[in-house]
Amino acid sequence: MYRTLYRGADFIAQVLAYLGGAILIAIIAMTVVSIIGRLFVPLQIGIGPIRGIYDFTSMAMAAAVFAFLPICQLRQGHAVVDLFERRMPDSVGRILDLLFNAMMLGAATIGTLRLFAGLQDKMATGETTQIAEMPVWWGYAAGMVGATGFILVAGFCTLRAALMMSERFREAQPHV
Amino acid sequence: MSNFDLALWSFPVLLFLVFLRMPIALAMIVCGVGGTWLVIGTPMMTLNQLKSLTYGTFSNYSFSIIPLFLLMGQFATVSGMSADLFRAAASFLGHRRGGVAMSAVGACAGFGAICGSSLATAATMGRVALPELRQYGYPGSLSTGALAAGGTLGILIPPSVILVIYAILVEQNIEKLFVAAIIPGLLAALGYIVAISIWVRVYPNSAALRDRVPWGERLQALAKVWPVLVIFAAVVGGIYFGVFTPTEAAAVGAAGTGLVAAFGGKLGWSELRESILTTAMSTAMIFLIILGAGIYNNFLGLTQLPQTAAAWVGDQGFSPWFVLWIVLVMYLLFGCVMDSLSMVLLTVPIVFPIMSSLDFGMSPGDFGLWFGILVLIVVEVGLITPPVGMNLFIINSMARDIPIRDTYAGALPFVLTDILRVIVLTLFPAITLSLVWALN
Repeated sequence: MYRTLYRGADFIAQVLAYLGGAILIAIIAMTVVSIIGRLFVPLQIGIGPIRGIYDFTSMAMAAAVFAFLPICQLRQGHAVVDLFERRMPDSVGRILDLLFNAMMLGAATIGTLRLFAGLQDKMATGETTQIAEMPVWWGYAAGMVGATGFILVAGFCTLRAALMMSERFREAQPHV
Repeated sequence: MSNFDLALWSFPVLLFLVFLRMPIALAMIVCGVGGTWLVIGTPMMTLNQLKSLTYGTFSNYSFSIIPLFLLMGQFATVSGMSADLFRAAASFLGHRRGGVAMSAVGACAGFGAICGSSLATAATMGRVALPELRQYGYPGSLSTGALAAGGTLGILIPPSVILVIYAILVEQNIEKLFVAAIIPGLLAALGYIVAISIWVRVYPNSAALRDRVPWGERLQALAKVWPVLVIFAAVVGGIYFGVFTPTEAAAVGAAGTGLVAAFGGKLGWSELRESILTTAMSTAMIFLIILGAGIYNNFLGLTQLPQTAAAWVGDQGFSPWFVLWIVLVMYLLFGCVMDSLSMVLLTVPIVFPIMSSLDFGMSPGDFGLWFGILVLIVVEVGLITPPVGMNLFIINSMARDIPIRDTYAGALPFVLTDILRVIVLTLFPAITLSLVWALN
């Protein structure tokens, strides 16, 4: 059961990370094309930079950053200070670990619900980006994908931290 | 409890949570949301802000430079350029006393010009140079110390992720900051090389010499590192001369290093996937900290702490230089235990208004550049000091037979050159600023 859940969380985190990576590479490719296009502007042959590339970059980058959150959560990539780690008894460390994972789950859930509220606002007002005039809610909707994955993976991490309290689980499972 | 007291008490609470090993970003969010709740009596304001704050932070065009630089650093890491740089540096320096360690530092400086992260630089150059250092009989302490210190050149030499963050926080020109970082970065490399040279003279038996390399081969080795020079010139020069925005320059740099790696046959599917996963983790970590610091600083702003603190410091009639030294020493001490990025994000919004209200006899623009470089150096020293020097841990994990105590001891001479450099750059701001002035 736990194995299946782990594979599920790992699958979500990896797929979203690669999706975000593909977005990054798309941003790089479009930026390079746009810069090359800009070089042709003085020739006046109708080739120029991509219109609204900055709007696209911002929106796509937000989607990528949201998509990167789950892998960071799953593989414990958050910045922490390890000053007193070794001086704490293991049992205390595990309780704190569970607590912090649960808090991260809470933060992820509230943050995503508020993002969804923001999405509804932007759909209602029909706000668009300045130059490309893309609806801003597109960016919010794209961000929801990664944010939802973040909740699911944070949920799994909380479960994992809870199971780690049991000695039998620690012995039975390799540390994943 | 007044709002001001709340803000003051939030610092020890934040530190306490962080020392319990709560992720730093989460601790900032908790203190920021909790503090705001206490000040205005309801969580509604924060909840309202959160509708657009997270998306607004993640979609900020200025911040989009960060993932691109991180990916560029990953491509540089797999490209094999680190090995070419090391060979080129070794062909010039290898036959000198301490030459292999000096070459490692020189190669780190070159790698720092295309990589904005200290840990990546230390890890990459460690893999390349550590075997050779051991082969030539360098003591473990000198080997790991030199590589850990050399790694900090990744961030001291532009491009640099921390400088980007600082520039955005205090609304400075990223292009000018990058230029201002060049001379101090080169001085850092020079200082490390001098430290090695002194070391091998104090302990003459500590290293074997490499054979002298003829000039023909030296030039050949040098010719192989041209992509590094081209990419650095395109990125930093392109930003400075206004050819690109910083984000565009980072995209060009990532494309360039990616192509170099791909044409060198080093960027297969597995390397690409690894590069993306590493970039994804670092990006998520950094953006969560940026978000957390934003929420926490909103709370501090609400309590007027930055203004009150600036006014208080102004009223005390301290000499500006005295305040500056205190601030730098505090950064140095905190840097030993805190993550440098978190520290910059947490403190600069409070410290910068205080510092810029003091008169150092220079224009606000110049002050912003100079202070940024000083802060960058002092927070990076924390990477090579105990107890939480990340660069030391990374290098030490590659050489399990060297006790961590030796690595700490080996880093000490390099820390001393860092401190010496901070003192010199503080006393003579013109060293940092002259290149900016010259190019203006």
